[in-house]
Amino acid sequence: MTSHLSRRTFNALLSSALGGGLLATYGSRRARAATTEITVLNWKGYGTDEAFALKAFADATGIAVKHDYFNAEAEMLTKLRTNPGAYDVVLINSARTQQVQADGLIDAIDLAALPNAKDLAAPLRDHPNLQVDGKPYGVAWLWGMTSLAVRHGKVADAQSWAIFSDPKYAGRLALFDDSITQVGIGALLTSQDINNPKDLKAITATLKAMKPNVRLMWSSEDEWNKAFAADAFDISDYWSGAAARSIKLHSLPLDFIVPKEGAIGWLDTLAVPSSSTKKAAALRFINYMIDPKFYVIWATQSGAPASTNTAAMNALPADDLSHKIYKPEDLAKLKFMSALPDDRRQAFNDVWDEVKAFYAK
Amino acid sequence: MIALGRTYLLATIAFLYLPIAVMVAMAFNDSALYTLPIEPSLRWFASLAVNAPLQSATRNSLLIASATSVIATAVGAMAALALERKRFRGRSLLRLLLLPPIAIPWLIIGTAMLVFFFWTGIGRGIHALLIGHVALAIPYVVLIIGAGLQTLRADLEEAAMSLGSTPIHAFFSITLPPLLPSVLAAALFAFAVSLDQFVISYFLSTPGVSTLPVEIYSSIRKGFTPEINAISTIFLGVSSALVLVFAQLSHLGGKRDSR
Amino acid sequence: MARRDWTTAALLAPAYGWLALAVFLPLGAMLFFSFLKAAPFGTRPLQFTFDNYLAFVRRPYLIDVAWTSIQIGLWTTGLCALVGLPAAIALARATRGRSQQVLFLLIVLPFWTNGLVRVFSWTMVLREGGVLDYALHLVAPSAPAVALLYSFPAIIIGLVHAYLPYMILTCYLSAAAIDDAYIEAARSLGARTPMIFAKIVLPLSLPGLISGAILIFVPVIGSFMEPRILGGRVGVTMGTMIEDQFVQAFNWPLGAALSFTMLAVVLIIFGVSSRALSARFGAQ
Repeated sequence: MTSHLSRRTFNALLSSALGGGLLATYGSRRARAATTEITVLNWKGYGTDEAFALKAFADATGIAVKHDYFNAEAEMLTKLRTNPGAYDVVLINSARTQQVQADGLIDAIDLAALPNAKDLAAPLRDHPNLQVDGKPYGVAWLWGMTSLAVRHGKVADAQSWAIFSDPKYAGRLALFDDSITQVGIGALLTSQDINNPKDLKAITATLKAMKPNVRLMWSSEDEWNKAFAADAFDISDYWSGAAARSIKLHSLPLDFIVPKEGAIGWLDTLAVPSSSTKKAAALRFINYMIDPKFYVIWATQSGAPASTNTAAMNALPADDLSHKIYKPEDLAKLKFMSALPDDRRQAFNDVWDEVKAFYAK
Repeated sequence: MIALGRTYLLATIAFLYLPIAVMVAMAFNDSALYTLPIEPSLRWFASLAVNAPLQSATRNSLLIASATSVIATAVGAMAALALERKRFRGRSLLRLLLLPPIAIPWLIIGTAMLVFFFWTGIGRGIHALLIGHVALAIPYVVLIIGAGLQTLRADLEEAAMSLGSTPIHAFFSITLPPLLPSVLAAALFAFAVSLDQFVISYFLSTPGVSTLPVEIYSSIRKGFTPEINAISTIFLGVSSALVLVFAQLSHLGGKRDSR
Repeated sequence: MARRDWTTAALLAPAYGWLALAVFLPLGAMLFFSFLKAAPFGTRPLQFTFDNYLAFVRRPYLIDVAWTSIQIGLWTTGLCALVGLPAAIALARATRGRSQQVLFLLIVLPFWTNGLVRVFSWTMVLREGGVLDYALHLVAPSAPAVALLYSFPAIIIGLVHAYLPYMILTCYLSAAAIDDAYIEAARSLGARTPMIFAKIVLPLSLPGLISGAILIFVPVIGSFMEPRILGGRVGVTMGTMIEDQFVQAFNWPLGAALSFTMLAVVLIIFGVSSRALSARFGAQ
């Protein structure tokens, strides 16, 4: 009748593929590293996995660094909780430090053990968000702000977040799909505390009023870059470090402005999980991360958020974008995110979900 | 009528390949941000050649997808047989139970698996990935082979058995041959489901061991460069070749070529 | 009889055992979570509540979102059926031999490209200044701009494209298995092609159509990738809402409750429609 792959041959082919696969995975497990190895949990592409840094650190200390990544803070929490002993350094937003500490997941840090910590800006190093019972539970590492980004040449003289509901820019707004940020912007526009706004209804109304302008939501730097490059929007809220990179690496025509109502600040820290078995090595890595030698190369090569190390910031070349973005007079207008109790976080999430559903109608 | 059918079919295929053509074209575009017009360049293939993590992720994906396909098809075919050919209480319930794995967003199942595997000590890793992928592929296999069985006449099998054949022999010589297209289609499906599965893989993989969709998904944050297009293009090329070879050997066309 | 039962159990055990371990038990844990106030980690005591299942009452905007998801499901499944069934029948009956095999494989191949890359490629086709816009202006320079991206139609296009092969595949399997003898008999009795199509080909392809509809409708209403990437601000679905609960709010109980509610709706729809269909077309 017709030629046919016999069942036997079929089975043989597939089982050898399966067997080969199993052997391959076994084989690779045998080749284990002989040096100390630590695992870092962080956002992808956020400093700790820079190739030059890993090499320099390994050369200097003999410690190899592996990475695991998360795409959202909630994921970071899940991974920490479900993988005791797997991570040695973890990046934690200072707004989450106390929550994570309350679950017993991280250790207090003895800053005296980190030689580079002496140059950290005191207000950041000793920020209340990081302290529990007078001890810091993370090393202040990077800080930045979420502020206004506009297309150079198309948007003149943007001074206020109110531009988000300005009819001139109908259909040209991209919003960060994050409830904390958006509620924060709503709070800034209604003169409330971004961490504890009393009138959520006013914020909801303010956000809903932006509907005619909203074109799309973005949730990663890459998404922002691609949409901006494709001319999908002209105004947006955006991160300072990402803005520096968009200008430097992709030559995108954007202006980064701190409006008169202020901007939302965030402080990222490096912490050591309590379940880690290589805490000494972890601390050495953290020390390297706050070293000006690391920061200056990273910032000038790719663009980065601001370092908490004043020596590092001073070591940047005078024409570096950071000086353009982090102007001293703006620092006073910066409102840092702090810890939120669960029910408030949920309330913010509900506000944003309701607003998004409204945008979609 | 035949000409109309063929034209329509080709138009449908053109629609299916429109974004794929774009995907392949962008692999050869110099711009990292996918801007038009296209400036021809091979730089993404070059950087792919030195991108060891992406290569190992692709290898892992292929191995896991192959294993998933084999296991899910075998296991699912058996279940489909029972569901279609045997009458028993609870049959409709079992059919309905095939829906949750496809209905519930993978994010939920992924988180649920992560937590459950953590509590029961199964943990993360390639074995967990395999368990998850096969579980997600099984409903597709059962549904496809089930549909195939529905169109076949059940009475031939029974006739054979009344003439003295054992059920197993009846299955292999009477039911399986016309069922082969469905079985192979189900295997291809299971392969595809596993290959494209990123949510479960994301939750259940250990640091350092990754699959292609996970690499792509996590690149969203850092920079989803045309290297991804390059590897997808290579992948497309290789899978086209493999599948053509496979088709040569196993004749997926059913019984239409004797005309 | 006893031997038959044993055989049935043995056939079902591997698949359902696997599903039990990997899906049903974990989902059982999730079901348990959905009755909690907060995700059960850390040292806080467990608190139980029905609140999460009253989500649609407490948060009325969810009703709009759910309706959007169902509409997306219906449009996608409907269009896939409308486009896919004729394509499958054309493939099964208007082609043969090598060309049939090649065409079949061409239809299956897009499956093996990564979903995210495909959706992203659609943004390049649909956006202003994208491929369609560019092509249109090559031919008709004064035509208005094509700006399909960030809209409901864009979501549907993306989803139909992603799920069409499912429908073509399942319908093809049914259509290809139709015995030529039926068609020849009908022709010899004087039936014309439309009649043959309506009375023979279509009913016999129905199992494929139904399983295709299941494979498409069910995942589509929970989809979040295409709505987010192609829909812009319009892309708010149950899938994205559930994702928000897990990824932004860390409210697993609410996310789980929403998913199970969605699952219940799906099961009801299928329970009802399969009764209706088997009543109409006879038990299978």
